Amino acid sequence: MATKTVLEGVRDALYNEMSRDERVFIMGEDVGARGNVFLITQGFMDKFGRQRVIDTPLAEASIVGVAVGAAMAGMRPVAEIQFADFIYPAYNQIVGEAAKIRYRSAGGNTCPMVIRTPYGGGVRGALSHSVSVEALFYHVPGLKIVVPSTPADAQGLLTSAIRDDDPVMCLEHKRTYRLIKGEVPEGDFTVPIGKAAIAREGKDLSVITYGLMRHTATEAAEKLAAEGIEAEIVDLRSIRPMDRETILGSVTKTRRALIVHEDNKFGGVGAEVAAIIAEEALFELDAPIRRVCGPDVPAMGYAKEYEEAFMPSVERIATAMRELAAY
Amino acid sequence: MDIKPFTDTPIKFLEYDGKPAGDIGSLGLTNEQLLVMYRWMVFVRAVDDRGYILVRQGRAGFYAQVAGQEASQVGSALVLTKNDWIYGDHRSQGSQLVKGLKAAQWFAHVLGRTLDPTQGRMMPHGSGSADLHIVPPSSTVGNKITEAVGTAMAQRYRKTKDLTITYFGDGATSEGDFHVGLNFAAVYGSPVIFFCQNNQYAISVKLEEQTHTKTIAEKARAYGMDGYFVDGNDILAVYAVSKLAADKARAGNGPTLIEAYTYRYGPHSSADDDTRYRPKGELEMWRTQRDPVTRFRAFLVGKKLWDDAKEQKLLEEVKAEVADEFAKAEVSTPPEPLTVLDHVYAKRTPHLDAERAELAAELGVS
Repeated sequence: MATKTVLEGVRDALYNEMSRDERVFIMGEDVGARGNVFLITQGFMDKFGRQRVIDTPLAEASIVGVAVGAAMAGMRPVAEIQFADFIYPAYNQIVGEAAKIRYRSAGGNTCPMVIRTPYGGGVRGALSHSVSVEALFYHVPGLKIVVPSTPADAQGLLTSAIRDDDPVMCLEHKRTYRLIKGEVPEGDFTVPIGKAAIAREGKDLSVITYGLMRHTATEAAEKLAAEGIEAEIVDLRSIRPMDRETILGSVTKTRRALIVHEDNKFGGVGAEVAAIIAEEALFELDAPIRRVCGPDVPAMGYAKEYEEAFMPSVERIATAMRELAAY
Repeated sequence: MDIKPFTDTPIKFLEYDGKPAGDIGSLGLTNEQLLVMYRWMVFVRAVDDRGYILVRQGRAGFYAQVAGQEASQVGSALVLTKNDWIYGDHRSQGSQLVKGLKAAQWFAHVLGRTLDPTQGRMMPHGSGSADLHIVPPSSTVGNKITEAVGTAMAQRYRKTKDLTITYFGDGATSEGDFHVGLNFAAVYGSPVIFFCQNNQYAISVKLEEQTHTKTIAEKARAYGMDGYFVDGNDILAVYAVSKLAADKARAGNGPTLIEAYTYRYGPHSSADDDTRYRPKGELEMWRTQRDPVTRFRAFLVGKKLWDDAKEQKLLEEVKAEVADEFAKAEVSTPPEPLTVLDHVYAKRTPHLDAERAELAAELGVS
């Protein structure tokens, strides 16, 4: 085991897969000479050459569109959208093309590509460097979406994504890049897409979450442990396909479900999680399903106060946990 | 003949009456090749006539005729080889047939049967075939332009001599994908042919309401790429310009924009009423004075390669072939309802397995 940051996990997955498979290449804004704005691909251009580390013209629609065409022709592109906030010009290509081409061609054409993008708040990124975009994509059949929160998951899920035969969006919470450190297995390993992880075991309530909020919720759970409440933290890791079995297993055990995400509540990923629990395990519950999410506003503001008011805090989550446990 | 980009008038090898207008000998086409060109145009028109009848018979929901644009499609597709890729559009069945799509597959596509490589998923005209490297297009105009660039980049990365051609209409040149796609291809020297069939209408919107440039070809200048303005109803001119662009792409010299100036005889589709927007007499002028098939036939007659007897024989042959192909499509089965859940992913997810079981129970099948 080696200790790494999330950023290093991402970098190592890219590096290893590019070394292993010549079909893998990276394209995006500033990924080459600059080595990506977070320095994830620093040195890659020298190592792998300009043909495989492509600094693209500044147009997200073509970053994804070109990647789709290359993937159909048998390559394994990893297209980077510099910030998730800039993904909208590529929405058409992701939803209309990448997600549908296999279905459209009855399996004749495939689109084995990865779209990586940093998302999320906590870095004073304001309205256009902080958004969460998962809810805009997780409705779309044909896409897979992973949201790693630890270095091992970042490396293992991205490796799986690159090896997957379908388009996978890898949403990386930018606040975790350097903040979160952890043990990562040595050598070649993958984390399967579609499997949640029990980040912390507990018997009194289940917290279903993903991304940075896994860590915020775990911190809240540690606080509550001192009060004698043991929360189980379920980190979804994959949003599509979603691991219903692990969600249902946990809430059936604890009989209480709290859903936490940074994205706003209305129509968010938590809505689907709540629906799954309501459809499959309503009578296993001792309390109504509860959600703690970002407020229903367009985005988080720049001022520190706005950002703090937006992002679910340890205190907010702990309060909800306490109330739910006492219900 | 020296073919120049950015001309003010369309490049022509034939006058409207079929008399030579350029150095046809420079094309190096044999008499046999000339006759193949003609046969393809006649065949494409016959397939199209049969296809359109299906809508009138109530057996197909939708059809967009290619009539009038045969020279653009056949002439450009004849320069392609087996491993070249086509990104088709709403009106590119002519090119697809030349690339190898069987007429039976085309009719099955229009009928929504399993002989269609998309197996009834795509409405007309979203045909394609992975085996033939023809990508079934979405109806969202312009998407395919950037994808074609990606496919071409992959061809180049593998050091092949293959290329990708993408067909689109005049309306597509207003889309962002046109701009970002051409820009990307030019920067990276990708082996692509951007083939615009300018039939002067995007459904009802006329070219002058679509763009303020005189030609579409000249837009290539802004990307540092050559743009050719060609008479799209002159199959020799289309072939010549397409060949030039293909040779350039294969030699590693980058992309080309071709504007084939043409006209469609039918409405945008069977769901359109073109009498609402086309000026009186315009259609008749193109049909009677600029028809690509008549024009090329006149050329062949002038060269003593063609006569009435040969024409009669060809029409009979083509009629029989179309009937045969149509019969194969007619006996092709419709898709099984449960296959609606196939091909979402390489492997069905547990969620899709559950939905499949539910549907099977509902339908009483397994």
